[in-house]
Amino acid sequence: MQVDQLEIAHVAAAHPRDGLNVEVRGLVKRFDERQVLHGLDLDIEAGQFVAIVGRSGCGKSTLLRQLAGLDTLSEGAIHFDGREREALGGEVRMMFQDSRLLPWRTVIQNVTLGLSGKREVLQAQAEQALAEVGLADRANEWPSRLSGGQRQRVALARALIHRPRLLLLDEPLGALDALTRIEMQRLIERIWRQHGFTAVLVTHDVSEAVALADRILLVENGRITLDETVTLPRPREHGEAPFAAIESRVLKRLMTVEALNQRNQLRGRVRDILVGPVMSEVRVDTPAGSVSAAISTRSLREHSLEVGADVLAAFKSTEVMLATVD
Amino acid sequence: MSSVSHVFKKGLAGLLPWLLPIFILIFWELSAHLGWLSSRVLPEPLAVLRAAWGLAVSGELWTHVQVSAARAFIGFAIGGGLGLVLGLLTGTFRSAEIALDTTLQMIRNIPPLALIPLVILWFGIDETAKLFLISFGVFFAIYINTFHGIRSVDPALIEMGRSYGLSGWALYREIILPGALASILVGVRYALGFMWVILIVAETISAQAGIGYMTMNAREFLQTDVVLVGILLYALLGKLADSAARLLERRWLKWNSAYSAT
Repeated sequence: MQVDQLEIAHVAAAHPRDGLNVEVRGLVKRFDERQVLHGLDLDIEAGQFVAIVGRSGCGKSTLLRQLAGLDTLSEGAIHFDGREREALGGEVRMMFQDSRLLPWRTVIQNVTLGLSGKREVLQAQAEQALAEVGLADRANEWPSRLSGGQRQRVALARALIHRPRLLLLDEPLGALDALTRIEMQRLIERIWRQHGFTAVLVTHDVSEAVALADRILLVENGRITLDETVTLPRPREHGEAPFAAIESRVLKRLMTVEALNQRNQLRGRVRDILVGPVMSEVRVDTPAGSVSAAISTRSLREHSLEVGADVLAAFKSTEVMLATVD
Repeated sequence: MSSVSHVFKKGLAGLLPWLLPIFILIFWELSAHLGWLSSRVLPEPLAVLRAAWGLAVSGELWTHVQVSAARAFIGFAIGGGLGLVLGLLTGTFRSAEIALDTTLQMIRNIPPLALIPLVILWFGIDETAKLFLISFGVFFAIYINTFHGIRSVDPALIEMGRSYGLSGWALYREIILPGALASILVGVRYALGFMWVILIVAETISAQAGIGYMTMNAREFLQTDVVLVGILLYALLGKLADSAARLLERRWLKWNSAYSAT
């Protein structure tokens, strides 16, 4: 056992692995006729934690799969540390939304998947990785016996054992309950700080992005439309005022972008505002007729909408949203 | 106190499914005794037991069982082996599927027993003909289930495997084969059942030994009790083969909660 530990330390020292520098230029991805990414540019410093938010179908997962080398790119280039990205290189590891553990392998066998070497060394490495995610005692169980959060922790251990320099996280916490999610966020943050890899997290949970990321990117229609740097000290508390301010800024932007979608909007002028105790009603005259939008009184107070203002009325399947016209 | 009554209840519950068979056996024995049932139609259960005992003591029974079982399993090994290899091939390589699958699907629709006249012309009436029929019958159950097993392996897992550096044989061993195993074993169980059906028919055509030969011979001499022993032997062997397949499922698929339940 003593020898094994030394060997691990030796292996780790021989490959000092810090974060990977990522450079994306003019990335275009088409699936048959449909273009998902439209000439996307992106630079990520080594060791940075970047979160990508956006609505489903905006291309954020496609971007991540491009970085992972899971799909071929249609146009453009991706460079890691100045070198061309190789398909499925060993420096990049991905965590998927569903843990994708092999149900017919035990937890520890899942963690050592794809590794070659002396059995005892692998075993010790895997035990260490499992201990890091707090699951050392579940090593010999079947994945079906674990909860969703535990499975994702195994998946994290499986990624960590490869000592990746770029860790890609594709909504890995999306299916977890709120409490487990916050626990996992803390775990991911701690491990990221320890290992120093570059991390790219795709999420639709803005507060998760604020909690973890140095930088939040908003992807809309295959382009990056917002690049917000987060400088809050770590670890970040969800309730704090600066946290909430950034969160609401990104959310607002997300909503605005949504409202500015060309296909489902109408330009109009506010005719009437009926203020209620909780919800207010805003009536808007548009070329197509009168539109009524329900807005919470609180957000109406924050955004100071007046009668006669020019607005955009955007239609979603269940509601009408308003955006002011600059 | 409560645990005693619990054990008692459990034992009673275990007995319940056997009540009907026991009742039928008693009724059967009684009808034979009272002369309602001619022994030429159906011998009494005790006579069947006596016949089985006599055959077992003389050693005749074991020779026949051995011959039949050997036929069944050699045929199963040839047909099942070929089915497995071809199923893996067509499941894995699109080109192999294009080249082979249509032909195999056409042949699949021929009932094996319809081939008997042709098989007798080709191989005569000795062992080869019987092995051919069994192999032919077993082949498709395993081929189809292997093919579908391979095709239905979760592509997300394969993608994960590739992104973790697996390819070629390693990918096959870690992900594709284990993923297809449940389906392959369904094929094995089905093939085992079918194997006995074909064996029975093949052995009644012509044979110098085997359970089928034993029953056909007994028929000539109106030994209904021996005929019944033969039929029960087939049932027993079939049940044994099925239990063996279940055991494999429990062993190899113990990760799957649907099979690990004891």
